[in-house]
Amino acid sequence: MSTAMNFSNKSFAPRPPDKGAFPLDHFGECSAFKERFMECLRRSGYESAACRQSAMAYLECRMDRRVGPGAGAAGTPLRGREGKQLMANEPLEKLGFKDLINEKSEEKPEKS
Amino acid sequence: VVPGETALAFYKAKNPTDKPIIGIATYNVVPFEAGQYFNKIQCFCFEEQRLNPQEEVDMPVFFYIDPEFAEDPKMAKVDLITLSYTFFEAKEGQKLPLPGYQ
Repeated sequence: MSTAMNFSNKSFAPRPPDKGAFPLDHFGECSAFKERFMECLRRSGYESAACRQSAMAYLECRMDRRVGPGAGAAGTPLRGREGKQLMANEPLEKLGFKDLINEKSEEKPEKS
Repeated sequence: VVPGETALAFYKAKNPTDKPIIGIATYNVVPFEAGQYFNKIQCFCFEEQRLNPQEEVDMPVFFYIDPEFAEDPKMAKVDLITLSYTFFEAKEGQKLPLPGYQ
C-alpha cells in the first residue's frame, strides 16, 4: 500500500457548481457575445473587471436563448430536457452585476 | 480577477473524430490551497455533454474567488491560480469518482 508521505497528502475534492451546468451552445448562438467579451479582454490586458459589461451581455444572451428538440436534432441536449435555456433566468444582481445594473437604470431617466 | 467579483472564462473543446462523443469534465485548481476559495457559479462540468463529429464548442465557466482569499496570509504570495479541466469520455453506466458529489 502506498504509505508514501507526499508533501501535500490531501486529496482535492471537486465541488459541483452552485447553479448547475451550462448546456453547450451547439449552434454558437451566443458566440458573437463571447467574441466581444474576448476582444475586450485582449484590449484590456486580460483584466476581468474591465469586461464585466461584456460578460453580463453574454450571460443575458444565454438566458434569452432556448435549446431543445424544436431547435433541431443535433442541438438536443442530453437527457431530454425540453426547451431548456442555455442558462436559467437569474436576476443579474444575483450574479454579481448589481453595480452595473444600477448604472444602467440611472441612465434611463435622462433618455425619457 | 478581483476576489469577490464574478468573472467569466472560456475554454474550447473539439471532437476531432467522426463519431459523436459523450464526455464529462472535471476540474482541478492549482495551487491546491487556493481551491477552497474557488467558487463556480455555473460551468459545463460534472454533467454529460455531447460533442458531435468535428464539432467545436465554447465552454464557459462563471465563477468568483471568495473575498476571504485576500485575508488569508497563506495566499499572500499567490497571484496566479490555474484552473484546468479534463474531459473524460463517458461510458454507459460509468460514474466518475467524485468524492463529496452524490
